[in-house]
Amino acid sequence: MHQFYVQTLNGLTLAGIMFLVSSGFTLVFGVMRVTNLAHGAIYLLGGYIAYSAIQTLDNFFFGLLAAALATAALGLLLERTLIKRMRGQVMAELLATLGLVYVIDDLALAIWGGNPLSLRLPGFLQDSSTLPGQIVYPNGRIFIFVVATAIGLGLFFLLRRTRIGAIVRAGVDNRAMVGAMGINVRLVFTAVFALGAMLAGVGGALGGTVLGLAPGGDAEILTFALIVVIVGGLGSFEGAVLGSLIVGLLSNYGQAYFPALAYFALFAPLVVVLLVRPQGLLGRAAA
Amino acid sequence: MNAGVVVPGQDRVDSVDVRRGRQSFLARRQRPLLLVGALVVLLLASVFLFRGGFWGQLVTQMLIFAIAAMGVDFLGGYGGLVSLGQASWLGLGAYGVAVSMTRGAGPWAAIGISLGVLLVVALIAGLLAVRVSGISFVIMTLALGQILFGLSSSLIDVSGGDNGLIIPINPVLGPMDLNDTRHLSFAVLAVFVLSAVVLWTFVHSPFGLSLRGIKSNEQRLRTLGYSTWLHRYIGYVVSVIFGGIAGILYVFTNGLVTPTALDLGHNGIITLMAVVGGLGTLWGPALGSVMILLLQQYVSIYVERWATVMGLLFVAIVVFAPEGVWGVGKKYARRLSHQSSRVPPVGIAAALPSDDAIPTVEPIESIEPNEPIKPSEPIEEEVR
Repeated sequence: MHQFYVQTLNGLTLAGIMFLVSSGFTLVFGVMRVTNLAHGAIYLLGGYIAYSAIQTLDNFFFGLLAAALATAALGLLLERTLIKRMRGQVMAELLATLGLVYVIDDLALAIWGGNPLSLRLPGFLQDSSTLPGQIVYPNGRIFIFVVATAIGLGLFFLLRRTRIGAIVRAGVDNRAMVGAMGINVRLVFTAVFALGAMLAGVGGALGGTVLGLAPGGDAEILTFALIVVIVGGLGSFEGAVLGSLIVGLLSNYGQAYFPALAYFALFAPLVVVLLVRPQGLLGRAAA
Repeated sequence: MNAGVVVPGQDRVDSVDVRRGRQSFLARRQRPLLLVGALVVLLLASVFLFRGGFWGQLVTQMLIFAIAAMGVDFLGGYGGLVSLGQASWLGLGAYGVAVSMTRGAGPWAAIGISLGVLLVVALIAGLLAVRVSGISFVIMTLALGQILFGLSSSLIDVSGGDNGLIIPINPVLGPMDLNDTRHLSFAVLAVFVLSAVVLWTFVHSPFGLSLRGIKSNEQRLRTLGYSTWLHRYIGYVVSVIFGGIAGILYVFTNGLVTPTALDLGHNGIITLMAVVGGLGTLWGPALGSVMILLLQQYVSIYVERWATVMGLLFVAIVVFAPEGVWGVGKKYARRLSHQSSRVPPVGIAAALPSDDAIPTVEPIESIEPNEPIKPSEPIEEEVR
């Protein structure tokens, strides 16, 4: 029972990281119909940038900030230079971002090398706390879950309670109409793409403390994000929350109890969802 | 339908291929030209394979990846379902052989087992994959492929983990000993030619035509009584099997298989081979395979950051030449021969209607107010 409790907490931490990555992916898809396959690569890049920033500035939070700003800037740049050239051509956008995966991965390999790196958390986050039920659990993992939850709530508030959120949600429903209402859709697109990249970068900086940073880590996190959005529903923010929880917990239980078959734990929710609801749990039909 | 009427919107069935009775001058002239081209390519490949060495090995690999990329093209270029998991099927074919052989099976038995496993897994995975289409299909195939990749590295007892598996001995058939590199290379060439012929036949069969019809306007085909689901399902399984066949050749020519063969990079590369060459033309993927492997194997000798160069090249081709290299060539060939500008779309543009994922637009677009569905539409003529 004690073991199960700890594994549930680990699963929640993993779900937190998955949520940060997949929410960015699904927001970009929902608003722009862009399938950003470089999302995993941006995650890894965020982690690496945080690593270098921590090396020079000696402060984890500055590293986190650097990763967020750098990946947001990269997202801005990519949207303004590349994605806007292919507006509406969903397949071309997907393949162009696939090409970017090779570029980002190769440059990251050139700069940070092929050996696994690990991000170190600062002082108190390296300690452990005693949780109710006599569980000693590392503060760092609690921190990740808290930050992911806070960002999730912040995004939820932004999407549901503000004018910007209303525009974004309207964009998901009917882009042409939003443009016709006199709203600068271009600006919304750029902002959403930069936000999506930033979420991936923050995910990398936080995820790097638990999962480590190494070539190939980007493909792993991308796979998680893809499965989360298939399960939750492509383009649905709430679906990303639900999908992350399901996939994060199942994946972690799988790794803990049946390590050799862990990948079947990813496969199972995929099968069930596709058979019962091909558009994803919270996805809309025909999407 | 009058010859001069251009059907607007989604109805983009390749007019040259569908109206077989009314082929354009170019298409008739093209056939012997292509045949001569094929023979020249075959001859050239044979010379390289006969001489062996670095170039012989490289050409062998090009042929193998061309088979896999043609499989992607069959479903993507003709069926509108672009798969991003072909390397994982190549890996499954390779692992099927390697695992059977490490468990004591002979090479021929291992090939049989591998094909059997492929068929079974493809039939199951196909049930899932074809439940979605468009972008969701691409994502789905990538997710399935990445799960196969994960299994290959985590099922250590079966797959040998990251070290992979080694093939001890290759098959022998009468005077043909595939342990000899030259024999093996020519066997690969033979399988390549056979695969190309089989796929060409498929594409030009009634099945292939209805597959293209589904890509152009699935709703119409469904209304006409076609089981579009079954077409896509069979198309998927065929595409996957060719990935697996490439994998069987891959494992015998390389002597080993590791999980790297199934990773995201390789999954992307095979799809990009089909795209860079030109989706919707069987020549395109073969050309893409030649170009990308040339870049990968040859340029990497001189340029350390060849992967960056390759990635930027992919992006550039997608942005500036979405119809692929073969598609661009075709376009210019047509322009030179004063062909009408009504060129059927190939490449990425042909793969998916743009903005396919917007639910509110779809039903409106599929209604063509000025074009009632006529019983004399070419699709119906051809496929009954």
